[in-house]
Amino acid sequence: MSKKRKIVSLAVFGVIIILLIAGIIITAPRAGVKEPVNEVMKDAVLHETGRINLFGKLQVNPALISAYIVSGILIVFAVAVRIFFVPKFTQIPGKFQYLLEKGVGLFTGLAKQNSPQKTQFIGGYIFTAGAYIFFGTIFELFGFQAVTVSGHSIALPAPLADINGALAMGFFSYGVILFGGLVNNGIKGMLHALKDFTLPVSMSFRLFGALLSGALVTELVYYYPLTGYVVPVIVGVLFTLLHALIQAYVLTMLVSIFYGESSEKHEKPVKPAKPEKIKKEKRRKAS
Amino acid sequence: MPLNIDIQQILLHMLNFVILFAVMYFVLYKPVKAFIDKRDEYFREMHDEASRSLEEANAARSEYEEKLRGAAEEIKAMKAEAQKDSREDAEKIRSDAKKEAKEILNTAKLKAEHDTEVMIKNANSEICELARQAAEKFVIENTSDAYDSFIVSANDADED
Repeated sequence: MSKKRKIVSLAVFGVIIILLIAGIIITAPRAGVKEPVNEVMKDAVLHETGRINLFGKLQVNPALISAYIVSGILIVFAVAVRIFFVPKFTQIPGKFQYLLEKGVGLFTGLAKQNSPQKTQFIGGYIFTAGAYIFFGTIFELFGFQAVTVSGHSIALPAPLADINGALAMGFFSYGVILFGGLVNNGIKGMLHALKDFTLPVSMSFRLFGALLSGALVTELVYYYPLTGYVVPVIVGVLFTLLHALIQAYVLTMLVSIFYGESSEKHEKPVKPAKPEKIKKEKRRKAS
Repeated sequence: MPLNIDIQQILLHMLNFVILFAVMYFVLYKPVKAFIDKRDEYFREMHDEASRSLEEANAARSEYEEKLRGAAEEIKAMKAEAQKDSREDAEKIRSDAKKEAKEILNTAKLKAEHDTEVMIKNANSEICELARQAAEKFVIENTSDAYDSFIVSANDADED
């Protein structure tokens, strides 16, 4: 056996032994009082206890702080791109320009496909919503910490994992759909969209449910030491990435479809004239 | 409220999203889309231009092909005419040559006849001359012999 091979074998054995010892220590029963799992889940859903001070005046859910941070990052990114990159755009795009154009083109295509009227506005809206949902969901992966009112540390969740964030997104999207109907078809278009009054609730709860289920599964996985070891790499990261993509796509597609329906021009069907009217018309012409 | 729903927080989320939408729409989406549209327009114009050029080229090609087809027919007609002309020329040359040959033959015949006549005439005169010369010679020879024999016989007679 060569010297190099001997060193590699020893290193592999060493790593296995260290991992086993770490596992034994982690899985050992802990002393002290631990928060029961139902409390942890309830807290993850309702955020009743882990509130954060906003500007020293308001006590808000941590998801609102996440929403502000994500929006801040996106705004800074947009301004930086506008100032430094957009003026340098070339006919043959580089990697970054290609990525940006691909993102804009994807949502523009989705808007054109589902709502041929006023594609610019709805394209911009679903572009923003898609970016917000995607990056907001990925945001929870970084596990940024914040201090609660009670002085505990809390990992900031995805902005839409909070029912208030999801409702805001759902109702705002519904407002955009109503606006599309009003602008393109007048009051009639708005009334047409109003009949789908369950839409904001369904959109909100779909978003909330999807993001919350991810958060709950991650919480559960982290709660038990045995599963909190290696498993979160798959469950936490891959599931988060997956539902970030899926939810961004689902909401943007739904909004564009409903916007397209409400803003679609409805032409009045031409009614065939009644035989009596035709006879009268003929008589009038003859006289 | 149930489920920890808070209207104030919903409005705060909405405010946040409105600001985000305004910035993303005017600062990022619109300029990038304008650039994409401009480039699409540029390539559409290029494509239209290329289509127009292709149509023009096709029209020119069909025109040239038509011309070429006409030229081929023209060449065929010219070739036939040239062949006809050459055939006629050849025929003419042949008939001229025949005529000339006939003339040469006649001239040669006449000349030959004339030459024969001249030769016969010359030969006759030469024969006459020769006959005359022969007769003269004969006469001279015969007379000298007679004279000699006379002398001889005269001498013999004297001796006796």
